[in-house]
Amino acid sequence: MKPAAVPTVFIIDDDRGMRQAVQDLVESVGLGAESFATGQEFLNRQPTSDPSCLVLDVRLPQMSGLDFQRRLTEIGMQIPIIFITAHGDVPMSVRALKSGAVEFLTKPFRDQDLLDAIQQALQRDRAVREQQAEVHELHGRYQALTAREREVMGLVVSGMLNKQIASEIGASEATVKIHRGNVMQKMQAGSLIELVRLADKLKLVLPK
Amino acid sequence: MVRGCLLSAGSSGLAGGTRIIITAADMTERKRADEERQALSLKLEESKARLEEAQRVAHIGHYEWNLIANRVTWSDELYRIYGLRPQEGPIDMAMVGEMIHRDDRERVFRAAEEAVRNAVHTEAEHRVVRPDGEVRIVQGLGTVKRDATGRAYEMFGTVQDITDRKRAEEALKRSQLYLSEGQRLAHMGSWAFNAAGFDYWSSGLFQVHGLDPRGKPPTVEEYLDLVHPEDRDFMERQVHKMSVEHRDFDFTKRIVRSDGQIRHVRCAGVPLTDGGTFKGFIGTGIDVTEQELLTQELRRERAYLAEAQSLTHAGSWACNFRTGEIFHLSDEALRIYGFDPSQGPIPFERLYKATHPEDEPALRGKFYGAIQARMDYDLEYRIVRPDGAIRTLRSLGHHNPSHEIGEYIGITMDITERKRAEEERARLRQLEADLAHINRVNMMGELATALAHEIKQPIAASITSANALLRWLAHDPPDLERARAAAVRIEQDNNRAADVINSLRSFYRTGTPAEREIVDVKEIVGEMTVLLRVEADRHSVKIHPELEADTPKILANRVQLQQVFINLMLNAIEAMKDTGGELTIRSRRNTEGRLIVSIIDTGVGLPAGRSEQIFDPFHTTKPQGTGMGLTITRSIVESYGGRVWATVNQDTGATFHFTLPGETEAHE
Repeated sequence: MKPAAVPTVFIIDDDRGMRQAVQDLVESVGLGAESFATGQEFLNRQPTSDPSCLVLDVRLPQMSGLDFQRRLTEIGMQIPIIFITAHGDVPMSVRALKSGAVEFLTKPFRDQDLLDAIQQALQRDRAVREQQAEVHELHGRYQALTAREREVMGLVVSGMLNKQIASEIGASEATVKIHRGNVMQKMQAGSLIELVRLADKLKLVLPK
Repeated sequence: MVRGCLLSAGSSGLAGGTRIIITAADMTERKRADEERQALSLKLEESKARLEEAQRVAHIGHYEWNLIANRVTWSDELYRIYGLRPQEGPIDMAMVGEMIHRDDRERVFRAAEEAVRNAVHTEAEHRVVRPDGEVRIVQGLGTVKRDATGRAYEMFGTVQDITDRKRAEEALKRSQLYLSEGQRLAHMGSWAFNAAGFDYWSSGLFQVHGLDPRGKPPTVEEYLDLVHPEDRDFMERQVHKMSVEHRDFDFTKRIVRSDGQIRHVRCAGVPLTDGGTFKGFIGTGIDVTEQELLTQELRRERAYLAEAQSLTHAGSWACNFRTGEIFHLSDEALRIYGFDPSQGPIPFERLYKATHPEDEPALRGKFYGAIQARMDYDLEYRIVRPDGAIRTLRSLGHHNPSHEIGEYIGITMDITERKRAEEERARLRQLEADLAHINRVNMMGELATALAHEIKQPIAASITSANALLRWLAHDPPDLERARAAAVRIEQDNNRAADVINSLRSFYRTGTPAEREIVDVKEIVGEMTVLLRVEADRHSVKIHPELEADTPKILANRVQLQQVFINLMLNAIEAMKDTGGELTIRSRRNTEGRLIVSIIDTGVGLPAGRSEQIFDPFHTTKPQGTGMGLTITRSIVESYGGRVWATVNQDTGATFHFTLPGETEAHE
């Protein structure tokens, strides 16, 4: 079992020589690496919680690298991708990068270019993962609110005054104040501005 | 009894033996009577002489036969008729009997006896053999005189020599016979025609028309009925013309005999005039059916020949090149030279002058050389027609077996089109060769991309491995095991790149002669599978080589064989480019030891009913295709004595098959 903190680089290339070489290169700089001949083999693997990225060959037997990229988006798997290809053209690289690829490298490439791209990709993955973790935690806080409190929070972040909220939900202004206090506490928000920011992260749909 | 006496007046002295009876009534008148007698005697002499003259001219003699005394007296002419000298007194009947032709003798005597016994007149024609052996034909007439009791006492008659008349008659008869027989043999007859219609038909003419010669000549209406319906109008016009113009005529029409037989009858006639007055026509009718059919046959054959010549653009001729005399020049020969055959013959010099100025010097040398050597010749040259058109001719001349110097028979053909077609074919062949080259160059272009990938892959891998190796060495301490592993991979990758290059090197050779070597088909299929894998992957095509172990090796040019596989496999991939699919390559040895390769795809199949046309040059279904791929494939396969064909698969797609002779077969 490898240490949990070690990031992993996944390599998909139908050319055995190529994927072995890339894996070896990645391992030589102390990163974890796993290689696959096809995209399906990669999908069959258990997803990892560690930071990771994907080095993907554009030309694959069954499904091209670009199609595989779209497939991953469809199934909601977010992983930074570095494309490598024996001969890529400009439209192909543009399409890859627009779809969120980190880098598009032409074989043969300089090893440092690939390693830099891998570092960048892992960095991006780490950021994404942190963000996801934060959102996850916020969700936990939000889940702790009662239905009334969620309703009040929604109205608060939409900019309503206590009085307005009271008339909206048919309660006294004092009751609104208590709910509002609970919300601030449970959401661990120090100020109204902070609460609005948290709500934004949670992508709450605010009532009009 | 002084009243009278009967005197015989010396009948023997009188020709014709006329009995003269003189009566002397009175002796006293004797003197006067003597005078009268003298005058009478003179007269008698005269008439006797005249009678004799008349008998001689008419060849008629007479006789008296006294039946009681059985004594016969002859006139002088009768003696002459019998070839005897005239004499006095009675003639010896036994001798006469001898002189009558033996075959006629009995008949003549019987007729005489019969006349004496029963009849008054007798008539007999018989032959007489003169003492010198000459045979004469005579006609005898006789009258028997009887007394009051009916007893015959005398027979008087004449004998006429009718030999000349008889001979003339026989000659006439014979000539008539000859004529009618001749007419019969010649299938002809004669006729006479006047205002009332046919006056006379010879028996030959009846026979020509299939009619009974004993019948009467037909009327004009009856005659028209005999004429073939298709010729009847024509005949009617001719009859009308005859009656109006009174001129010679000669035409042929058909008649239908009563048995349905159709005969061609040539009818010729001339007008008959008497003192400038038109009397009618006489003429002949000749059955010319055989000649007519022969003529028609000849005409037909000539037409066939002319047609054949016109179709083949071949004209026949016969001429003497030394004298310039042309014996025969077919219409087509004239047409070949651009002349209108209806304008009549063209002199040899004019035909020769049509020779193209550029070709004339060479032609002259060969042509006159052949004539002088009395050799056959076969020459090709161009001519300029009167309208300026240039044609290429081939002339074959055969020195006439008559061995007259300069005499040749031969044919001249217009080979312009053939020549043009040959040139066109040569041009197409060149084009095909060029295109084959272009096709290969184009294919190289397409393949270059694939090749670049194929070669780049191991190179990129080895570079990356080298990078990794350096990094393992840079570790502290250096990780030698990982470094060694990387080095091994580098070696493998580089070998892989070298293999790809090796297998493709042959494609870069162009224009080298097709050297044949023993080729392992399995090896080639392996190479091609590698080569086309990228292309196949791009279109999601899987390649399955299914090569039987006993696939024969063949004697072939490696590059050409690679081209065959590349063409067929690329085609298969092309057929599946929108759908993906499977490309199966099967090879085996058939019972004859030949190699059979099948390239099976699961693509769009073949255009319906065009499985042969797809091999034609420029036949393509692809927007960018040259249409030469399969053509080249076929020409390569066929150059090895093999065959290539396509079939439609039962489920989906098409299969291209080709056969090639096995190694051992090719060695033979």
